Amino acid sequence: MKALVSRRGEGRSALQRADELGKRAEYLAFMLGTEAYAIQIGNIVEILKPLPITEVPRADPEVVGVMSVRGRLVTVVDLKRRFRLTRSFTMDKKSRILLVDAADELIGLLVDEVLQVYRLAESEVEPPQVLGTEQPPHVVGIGRPAGGAVLLLLDLAPLFLD
Amino acid sequence: MAENVGGGGGRGESAGDKAREEFFSEAQEIVDGLSRDLLALDDVCRRGGSDAELVNDVFRAVHTLKGLSGLFGAAMMSGLSHELENLLDDLRLGRIELTSQVLDLLFQSVELYGRILAAAKGDAPEPAPEVKALLAALGQVAQQKGGGGGSVVAQYELDPGLLGVLTEYEEHRLRTNLQAGLSLYRMRVQFQLATIDSALDDLKAKTRPHGEIITFLPTGEGGDAESVELEILVASRANLGVLRGAVAGPNISVEEVRRRDGASNPLASIPPPPLDDRSRERDQTDPYGGVSMSPPTTSGGDALLDEINAAGAGATRTSAPPPAPSFPPGPGGQLGTFPPGGIPGMPVPGIAAGGAGAAAQGASGGSGATQRELTLRSVTQTVRVDIRKLDHLMNIVGELAIVRGVVARLSERVRLDPDLKEIAPDLHRLHRSFDRHLAQMQNGILEVRMVPLGQVFDKLARIVRQISREHDKQVNLVITGAETEIDKLIVEELSDPLMHMIRNAIDHGIEDKDERMRVGKPAVGTIALNAFQKGNHVVLEIEDDGKGMDPKVILAAALRRGLVTESEAREMSDKEVLTLVFQPGFTTRDDVTALSGRGVGMDIVKTNISKLGGVVDISSEVGIGTKMTITLPITLAIISVLMLEVAGRTFCMPLASVEEAIVFDDAMIKTFEGREVMTQRGATLPIARLAKLFQLEGWRPGVWINESAPTPKPPEVRPGRKAKSYCVVATVADRRVGFIVDRLVGQQDIVIKALGKSLKKARGLAGATELGDQRVGLVLDAAALINEVLASSTEGRIAGALEGPRSPKTGIDPRDARSDGGMS
Repeated sequence: MKALVSRRGEGRSALQRADELGKRAEYLAFMLGTEAYAIQIGNIVEILKPLPITEVPRADPEVVGVMSVRGRLVTVVDLKRRFRLTRSFTMDKKSRILLVDAADELIGLLVDEVLQVYRLAESEVEPPQVLGTEQPPHVVGIGRPAGGAVLLLLDLAPLFLD
Repeated sequence: MAENVGGGGGRGESAGDKAREEFFSEAQEIVDGLSRDLLALDDVCRRGGSDAELVNDVFRAVHTLKGLSGLFGAAMMSGLSHELENLLDDLRLGRIELTSQVLDLLFQSVELYGRILAAAKGDAPEPAPEVKALLAALGQVAQQKGGGGGSVVAQYELDPGLLGVLTEYEEHRLRTNLQAGLSLYRMRVQFQLATIDSALDDLKAKTRPHGEIITFLPTGEGGDAESVELEILVASRANLGVLRGAVAGPNISVEEVRRRDGASNPLASIPPPPLDDRSRERDQTDPYGGVSMSPPTTSGGDALLDEINAAGAGATRTSAPPPAPSFPPGPGGQLGTFPPGGIPGMPVPGIAAGGAGAAAQGASGGSGATQRELTLRSVTQTVRVDIRKLDHLMNIVGELAIVRGVVARLSERVRLDPDLKEIAPDLHRLHRSFDRHLAQMQNGILEVRMVPLGQVFDKLARIVRQISREHDKQVNLVITGAETEIDKLIVEELSDPLMHMIRNAIDHGIEDKDERMRVGKPAVGTIALNAFQKGNHVVLEIEDDGKGMDPKVILAAALRRGLVTESEAREMSDKEVLTLVFQPGFTTRDDVTALSGRGVGMDIVKTNISKLGGVVDISSEVGIGTKMTITLPITLAIISVLMLEVAGRTFCMPLASVEEAIVFDDAMIKTFEGREVMTQRGATLPIARLAKLFQLEGWRPGVWINESAPTPKPPEVRPGRKAKSYCVVATVADRRVGFIVDRLVGQQDIVIKALGKSLKKARGLAGATELGDQRVGLVLDAAALINEVLASSTEGRIAGALEGPRSPKTGIDPRDARSDGGMS
C-alpha cells in the first residue's frame, strides 16, 4: 500500500502535482522561523493552540511528542526540525498546531505562526524547479499571491510516507 | 458479484454500507455455524454413522447463504452456494453418500466462503480459481450420484411402501428402465372383478407398444364388492399424452411419477381429486374434479412452496408428503380435459384434495413460518456491533474518567473551603455515585467486547482436520476452555498465529502412524488446545504428543543459517535454544531427513502475539511432545497500570506485568560482566534503569505546556538531595526484570490508545493514555522492554560477534497492530 502511494507520488512530476493543486486552490500560509510556507487547506483538519505535549523517548528528533485532542492521540511534529531549519524547539503564544490527516493517522504540525488563507490561481504558482532542479518531493511549488507574499507550497503526503 | 459488493461499498451510501456490514457479519456467522456443523458431521461420519438433522442444518445454512448472497449480488458466493445446495440436497435425500471426499468438499467450501467474504471486504484477492475448482469437483460428485441403482429410484416420488413390496426382479426392471432414462407413470385402474383378467390383458396389450409394465398392485382402496383398483407402474419413453391416449378408457387415470427434483410436467403430476365412489360412478366428466388441479393453482402452490423453501427451511421440501398413491383415483382419462382455470370457490369434493394438499402445504408452511419466527427471535436477541463503536464508547468512558478526576479535585477543594462546606457532602456523594456508575459502564463495555475463544477454536478444528489429512496423519484435537473469554480484537488477531502453531504441531510434531506405533504411542496423535484465565491474562496452550523438539537439531540448523555463532551456541541453555525457532529465517526444512523441524513462520507467530501484548513460550521434550504457551492480556482496551516517574516524566507500567515494587538502593546492585543484577527473594534479578534505557536526560516533566509561557517550560531542577528510588519487578511469562524508577505515583485504570505510525521507532511503548488535565501518559510495553533488556544483555555478553544476522531482533512493536486495530 505504502509502496503504491509512493510510486504514485513519484509518477507525477512536481509540476504536474503543482498543476493539480494549482486550480485556484486555497492554501493556509504559516511561518516556520522566518520562512513562509503553505499547505492546501483541504489537508487541515483543525488549527489548535498548543495543548500539553508529552515527549516520547526514542522517537524521531522531529517529533515533539504526543498530545490528546478530545480523546484522540496526536503525534506532534516540529516542521522546523523536520526541515532542519532549527535544532532547538520553541513554542510561544503565536505557536499553533495544524492537525492534518496524514498516512492513516492524525499528525499535528507545530508551526510558529498561522498567517492567512490564500486563494492561488494557477498563474500564481511557480514550479519548484525555479529553486533548482533537485527538489524534495514535498515541495510542490512557490506561491506568489498578490500582495507580495512568497510561499513555499508543500505536499504533506511525501513527508509522512516513512 | 463479489466485486460488485466491493464497488458498491466504494460508492458508499451509509445505509448501503451498513447493510453490507450486516451482510458480512451475518454471512460470517453462518459460515462459522456451518463450520461447526461440518465438524460435528465429520465426527459422526468417522464413527460410521450419519445424522440427517445435521445434514439438514448444513443444507439450511447454505441455503440461507445463497439467499443472502443473492440479495447482495455476491455472485461468486451465490454460485458456490447454489452448487453446494444441490450437493447437500442430494445428500439429504440419500442420493449420494456422505463420504469423506464429500466432506472434504464441504470443508473446502467453508474455507472458500471465508476467503470470498474477505475478498468482498477488500482484504484479500478473490479466490476465483479455487472456487472454480471446487465447483468442478462438486459437479463431479453430482454426476456420481445415481451410480448406485437405489439412488435412481430414490429420485422418484414413489411410496416407500410400494417399493417395499416390489420383487427383486421388478425392482431391477424399475432401476434399469429409470437408468435408461425412461419416464415412470402410475396408472390407477378400476377393474370389475368379473372381467379383470381380460381387462388386464387388454391394458397390457395397449401399453406394451409404449413401454413396460413393471408391476401392478391392488391399492386396497377405491374398490368395492365388485371392483378392485390396481396401481400399475409403467416405464415408458412416451410422454404422458401418448400413453393416456393409448390406454384411454373408463376408470383409468395416468399420471407421471415425478422426480423429486421436480423435473416433470406439473399438470401430469397433480394427484387426481379424490372422488367418492358415488360421484365417480355417477359422472366421469364431473367438473368438480378440475378444481384442485388446474395449472394456475398448481403453479401458485409451487410458488408458495418455493417461497417457503426460500424462506430458509429446506426441510420443508422433505416434510411435504410425496404425492400420495393413496389418493383415490379420479375419473380416468379426463384429467387433461378440464378447463384450466378451474372453478373458483368450488366446494367439496375438490376441497378434499385441495384440503389435503393445503394441509400438507400448511404443515410445511407452518414449519417454514416457525423457522422464520425462530430466526426473527434470534435477531432481536443479539445485536451486532462494530468493535469500533465500542472503542468509541470506551473513549468516552475514558474522557468521563478524566471528568471524574476533575470532579474529585473540585470536591476536595470545596471540602476545604469553609464558605462552601454545606455543599461539600452533596458534591462528594455525587462524585461517588458518578464514580461507581462509570466503573459499571466501563465493565459493561468491556464485557461486550469479550467473546469466547471457541470462535477461533472452531476454525482451528477445521484446520486440524484439513492439515492432518494433507499429511496423512491421524490427529485428535482436544479442546478445553473454549468458553474462556477474551477481547474481540485479540481473538481476531489470534487465529493466524494459532493456525501456524497447529500446522507446525501436525507437520513437524506428530509422527506418522507407523513411527508412532514403533515408539509405542497411540496411532492417533493428540493435540490439546487448552485455554484458561489466569488473573488479567488468558493462557493458551497448544500441546502435542509428537516427537518433541531436539535442541541439538535446532542448534545445528540455527548454526547453519548463521543465526547463532559457535561460541554463542556453546553457552546456550536448551531453553534458549528452543527460542531460536522464533528467529526470523529459522527453519530446519533443509534437512528434511529424520529431523524434527519447527519454525515455519514462528517468528511471525511471535511477532503477532507480541503485538497483542502477549508472549509465547516453548517447552519440549524429545520423544514426548511439545507445549507452546501463549499468555495474552484479556483486553487491549482498559488496563490497570502502575504510574511511575522517571527523571520527571510519568510512565504507566501495566499492572498485569508488575510482580512487585520494592525500595531500591544502589548498594543492592551487583555487576556481572557489566550487567547490573540484584538479588531478590533469593534469585538473581537483572535490572534496568528506565532513565538510561530511554536516554532521559535531565529532570523535567517531559510535557510541553504552552498556555501563556513564551518559551517551553524550563526543566525543573530537583534539589540535590539523593532521593529514594524504586525497583519495579516486571514479569512476562517466566522472564523477570527489575526496572529502576524514581517514584511510584499510584495505580490507575486507563484506556490505552495506540500511538501513531510516526512513532513506530519508539520501541518499548505499548501506547498512551490521557491522564487528566489533558496530559498524555505513555504506557510501557513490559514484554518488549523485558525482552530488550534480556536480549541486550545477551548481546553484551557475546559482544560484537552477532552484528550481522542476529541484528533483526525479534522486533516487537505493539503499536503496529494496535493502530491498525482502530483503537484510537
